Amino acid sequence: MPPTGLEAVYLDNRDRLVRFLVARGAGDAAEDLLHDLWIKVSARPNGPIDNPLSYLFRAADTLMIDRHRSRIKAQARDHAWSEASASEAATGERVVAARQEVARVAQVLADLGTRRETVFRRARIDGVSQRQIAAELGVSLSTVEADLRVACRALAALKEEL
Amino acid sequence: MTRIDEEAVDWAARVADRDFTDWDGFTTWLEADAARSARYDAAVLALAGAERTVAQLPAGTSVVATASQKPGPARPHAGRWLGAAAAAAVIGAIGVTAWQERAKPYAVETRAGEQRVLALADGSSVILAGGSRVMLDRADQRRAIVEAGEALFRVRHDAARPFRVDAGGLALTDIGTVFDVKRAGALTRVAVSEGAVLVDPDGAALRLDAGETVVAEGDRLVEGRVAVSDVGAWHEGRLAYDGAPLGEVAADLSRQLGRRVRVSPAVATRQFQGTLDLPSLRSDPATLGALLDVRVHVDASGWTLEPRE
Repeated sequence: MPPTGLEAVYLDNRDRLVRFLVARGAGDAAEDLLHDLWIKVSARPNGPIDNPLSYLFRAADTLMIDRHRSRIKAQARDHAWSEASASEAATGERVVAARQEVARVAQVLADLGTRRETVFRRARIDGVSQRQIAAELGVSLSTVEADLRVACRALAALKEEL
Repeated sequence: MTRIDEEAVDWAARVADRDFTDWDGFTTWLEADAARSARYDAAVLALAGAERTVAQLPAGTSVVATASQKPGPARPHAGRWLGAAAAAAVIGAIGVTAWQERAKPYAVETRAGEQRVLALADGSSVILAGGSRVMLDRADQRRAIVEAGEALFRVRHDAARPFRVDAGGLALTDIGTVFDVKRAGALTRVAVSEGAVLVDPDGAALRLDAGETVVAEGDRLVEGRVAVSDVGAWHEGRLAYDGAPLGEVAADLSRQLGRRVRVSPAVATRQFQGTLDLPSLRSDPATLGALLDVRVHVDASGWTLEPRE
């Protein structure tokens, strides 16, 4: 029986997915990673997928994000353990730093204005699609895209400073 | 921010949209410079971190927090270890719970001595121990807050939609998992029996694999080991401890047995290591005395654990 559905899409697009994984920093491991990813993806319970190709690309992207997280985790972990045993003063300083972060984020949101804040919350926190947000707010999709771009840049820039 | 960082953030925002399909365009952007992929990873994490902070601020009232607090200079060594502390500080600072504006939260509670199994629409399940309270969200089946007591999560993994649990200012996301979350006074304990959990995903991103535990108190985390078979053993009528104060054991017994168990201050901090069998304790509190090396005083109000004469 010829492969159907997700598997057919996977087989037809293996090269594109490998190329994407290489571009995402997988290097020589790209082929192996894709293979492992497919094993995982194909084991998922069956259910309709809107766009199988996009689903596969997204899974590959998420995999690389997870790998990035694990990499920084090791450093963060050592850092955290050494900090956890540090003095009370360090704890106090972290609390102060955390409060400052909250205040700065609040300031950025205030500067962005209500519509951009709403777009950011709907898209990033509620996980609503940009198309739907445009419909909800009665503005064009490109307005939502631009709002989200401005909000994300402002908040990411803040995060980088911290 | 450099131009590449700005572009990386733009891609992170676009790719996260469920309608995004321009994977070839994204690949082309990445391929122009080998350093871009790492900038994109950093942007994804920065946005995830910002998101968590925004989610904890009430919508549209952002001015409140800025009125008296001028942001100070950046602290170079505040580092990435901010997640749990930030969450705790927000709750302390502005008195809102870490819940989203658009969410449709509802609470599920158990009486002491009761257990409840909750089946979620995505195939995941939560078993609630006695005397516990969990907030769930009709708008988002992939998140929960453990407000009191203890819950055993059996999560159906979906890489695209990680299951998130908050407990006592500690954020967790699953990586395909069975794990137990318990609130005990100021402590939050997390123990994993299958798969893995990320603790404070946007900060320390500490990974707990099967057989690992972490105890969080404020922003302090202490890692430990646990026998996999002991994780969530309460739902089979067993309470297993590898060094817990009797005060915590008494609180657990109260919840699990549905009977008030107190502990006298003289023995409250004494450590206990071992396993308690709930069905046999229910009928015979004297056994408990032998196991915990205390005297069990029984009266109308319940049991009290006291030092032996």
